[in-house]
Amino acid sequence: MSTNMDDALQTFIVESRELLQTMEASLLEIGQGGDDTENINAIFRAAHTIKGSAGLFSLDPIVAFTHVAESVLDRVRAQRIAMDPALARLFLDVCDQMGALVERVASGLEVNGELQARSDELARQLSHHLEGTAVFPVAGDWPDGAPAQVAPPVFGPGCVTSGLWHISLRGGPDLLRFGLDPLSILRYLGTFGQIVSLEMVLAGIPRLNQLDPETCYMGFELSFASKADAQTIEDSFAFVRDDCTVRLIPPYGPIADYRALFADMPEDSLLLGQMLLRCGSLTQAELAQALATQEWLAEDEAGQAPAPRLGEVLVDQQLVEQPVIDAALERQQQVRQTKGAEVTLIRVDAAKLDQLINLVGELIIAGAGAQLAARRFKAPALVEATGVLSRLVEDVRDSALTLRMVQIGATFNRFRRVVRDVAIELDKDIQLDIRGGETELDKTIVEKIGDPLTHIVRNALDHGIESAADRVARGKPAQGRLMLNAFHESGSIVIEVSDDGGGLKKERILAKAMERGLVAEGQGLSDKDIFNLVFEPGFSTAEQVSNLSGRGVGMDVVKRNIQALRGTVDLESSEGHGTTVRIRLPLTLAIIDGFLIGAGPSSYVVPLEQVVECIELPLAGQLASGANYLNLRGEVLPFIRLRDLFEIPGEPPRRENVVVVQYAGERAGLVVDQLFGEFQTVIKPLGKVFSHIRCIGGSTILGSGEVALILDVPGLVRHVTARETGLSRSRQGSLAATA
Amino acid sequence: MGELIKAPESGAGLTEPRQYLTFTIGGEMFAVETLSVKEIIEYGQVTCIPMMPASIRGVINLRGSVVPVIDLKARFGGRATEATRRTCIVIIELDDDDDHQVVGIVVDTVSEVLEIPPADIEAPPAFGARIRADFIRGMGKIEGRFVILLDVHAVLSTDELSLLSEMAQAVPSQHTPSPVA
Repeated sequence: MSTNMDDALQTFIVESRELLQTMEASLLEIGQGGDDTENINAIFRAAHTIKGSAGLFSLDPIVAFTHVAESVLDRVRAQRIAMDPALARLFLDVCDQMGALVERVASGLEVNGELQARSDELARQLSHHLEGTAVFPVAGDWPDGAPAQVAPPVFGPGCVTSGLWHISLRGGPDLLRFGLDPLSILRYLGTFGQIVSLEMVLAGIPRLNQLDPETCYMGFELSFASKADAQTIEDSFAFVRDDCTVRLIPPYGPIADYRALFADMPEDSLLLGQMLLRCGSLTQAELAQALATQEWLAEDEAGQAPAPRLGEVLVDQQLVEQPVIDAALERQQQVRQTKGAEVTLIRVDAAKLDQLINLVGELIIAGAGAQLAARRFKAPALVEATGVLSRLVEDVRDSALTLRMVQIGATFNRFRRVVRDVAIELDKDIQLDIRGGETELDKTIVEKIGDPLTHIVRNALDHGIESAADRVARGKPAQGRLMLNAFHESGSIVIEVSDDGGGLKKERILAKAMERGLVAEGQGLSDKDIFNLVFEPGFSTAEQVSNLSGRGVGMDVVKRNIQALRGTVDLESSEGHGTTVRIRLPLTLAIIDGFLIGAGPSSYVVPLEQVVECIELPLAGQLASGANYLNLRGEVLPFIRLRDLFEIPGEPPRRENVVVVQYAGERAGLVVDQLFGEFQTVIKPLGKVFSHIRCIGGSTILGSGEVALILDVPGLVRHVTARETGLSRSRQGSLAATA
Repeated sequence: MGELIKAPESGAGLTEPRQYLTFTIGGEMFAVETLSVKEIIEYGQVTCIPMMPASIRGVINLRGSVVPVIDLKARFGGRATEATRRTCIVIIELDDDDDHQVVGIVVDTVSEVLEIPPADIEAPPAFGARIRADFIRGMGKIEGRFVILLDVHAVLSTDELSLLSEMAQAVPSQHTPSPVA
């Protein structure tokens, strides 16, 4: 039971996060010229569902706080107050606070004083909107007197105002045949109470030629005034209970019961609703509410088929003052239409997916082993069979990997909020353009790219885009533009953050770099080299440090984070016109295409995307003695002897090969013994013991069962460079000492 | 951490003899508790990791997962183990407070599984055992001989091993013998 509860709580947390995202997105949409009614409804639904579900788990801080927010939203829906920008801003804070409360639950902690104080403060601000009930003539077409509708004494939220029992009775078809008379029941009821109003339900009566006189077709809806208890009233139906459908709703009963009544009874809800109105059991508003909520239920079921909104059924709510049934019906219609187009989604535990991917990885290794064995036995049929098998395995791999793929749109959309908040803080007018939100990439990467991306975006907003006055002075539109774009390009994904701001000032970067000793005077640097200096540690050209960015701790961290994802980042800028930061990332982290090489007894894998070409190492006589570079079609290509670097014992073979690798625009050669060719590489982490290892990016298992190491080419180059600079420095040092 | 592991022994399990796997490294007899031993495999197909101290022998493929192999002789300050026909890799499972690690250790020969009652376990000597005192959990008496009961958590401490590997890289082409000697 407790584990069930835990599961349910997890579902609640996940759902709440999603709902809060929806809520935030809708809040940001408000005032953007779209259909605000729809947005407000979405916001209300989110708050409402979270409150209801939180109630199930007795998460009182959430319920209490959300209740206030919901009440205000309710007024907005009823168009009694307007959702102006100030209120939308307040609700963004409310949304954040709800998120904070939900996260508190997720971390298994009680709400602390600070959080509660924030809740109270926001609730206080919200309650201002509940007082006074200033009527904003938004729609301007109130039916006379409607706003004056004063809620009668309410006996708890979500209850009807009628103080009468409501009884629904549908006679079973065999009621009369069994000699039971519905009328006798009514007479019996009359002995301990008074039937205030009664409506006959005749919708079930067929045409005369189909009518069977012995069958009962009718039913009653009646309101009943009595001081008798529920048991007494219920007992009066004891004889007919088996053959009839009877529903009792107590005085001041919850609207949920009426909703259930509408759902259970075969009649059209609207017809039935009219009867309940005539009975006096429901007021117009209550009816609308019961109907409308029922329709939300249907809508949520349509949208969330695999994970029905938890507790929605049990949710009750505040009164809706001026709803329109027609509108509700119309929406219901729309929902039905969209239902067919909805993609069916299944929520799967990420750990299960990882396990599947691991197994597919094993399968690839095993398949490679089988293929190797088949070739060794030289049996054509076997070679062919294993060939087909490995092709299928590759297909399985590809589809397994797509399971982990998610669209980047959700990550991009988070920046709407960032851009809005930052723009307000900096008093700039900035519009965010999002493109390529449907581009898919690995979930792990999406999770890890958020922080670096935030940094880049903040930088662009803070330093890139100028203030409106400056922009106008430079002849640009006052509104700045920031664009987030994503697209696929040759096996990797490219994410671009571009702004139309002032661009980077080359001279200033160069001056700063010299001041910091990053570059020597007179060093010929290309524009690209200069711009990429901003990714150096401790580099910031911002003249003033704002509380957003400019402390110079940003861009190098950004670069490191992106490199950790096996990605690259570079920057393009034109002064006065703007800057584009381009991030290039691999599609997935689990499997790469590799190039297998051999040095000594061991095999190594170089990521294929980094391999440019392979050449034969010129014989020793043709190389400058002792130097580690060669002439590649007129260019200097420095190379690293893997045997030397890795201290592999033994003599190198007579003919050695050079793998020309390229990374971040730099070329280098790796001298190896043998080239084995392309290899599907399943990346296996090396474990914690090797957490500080350089030059090696991971490991993989070959078809033979042997472990091969994956070379980290940038790390390798960095290591060798650092070592040589270290050596030359110490040599210089010793020279200076002797002099 | 040694305290944590010893704690249950002083309680209910005090009189219960425990099983130990004994093996030899450089002619000396060592033992580890069988509870932490996952399996014993023949020595072979160890992929050497470049720029690592001698105590980190390399990695092996243990049914699809990559497992580091530690050369205990080198770890105790001796020379690297020469692989012979009888060389084995004992796969040890370590359950630390926060993570689960599988590590292999290279041993010259695997001897037998013995029961050693707690009464026959002496406290480690302060010095003279030629290996670091914190590597020793106790000295087991078997037929008048002493067997060093290893504290695998100290010997195979992930933090220390990764520190060692980092130091080996920081001083390129100059293999310092393990500073633990």
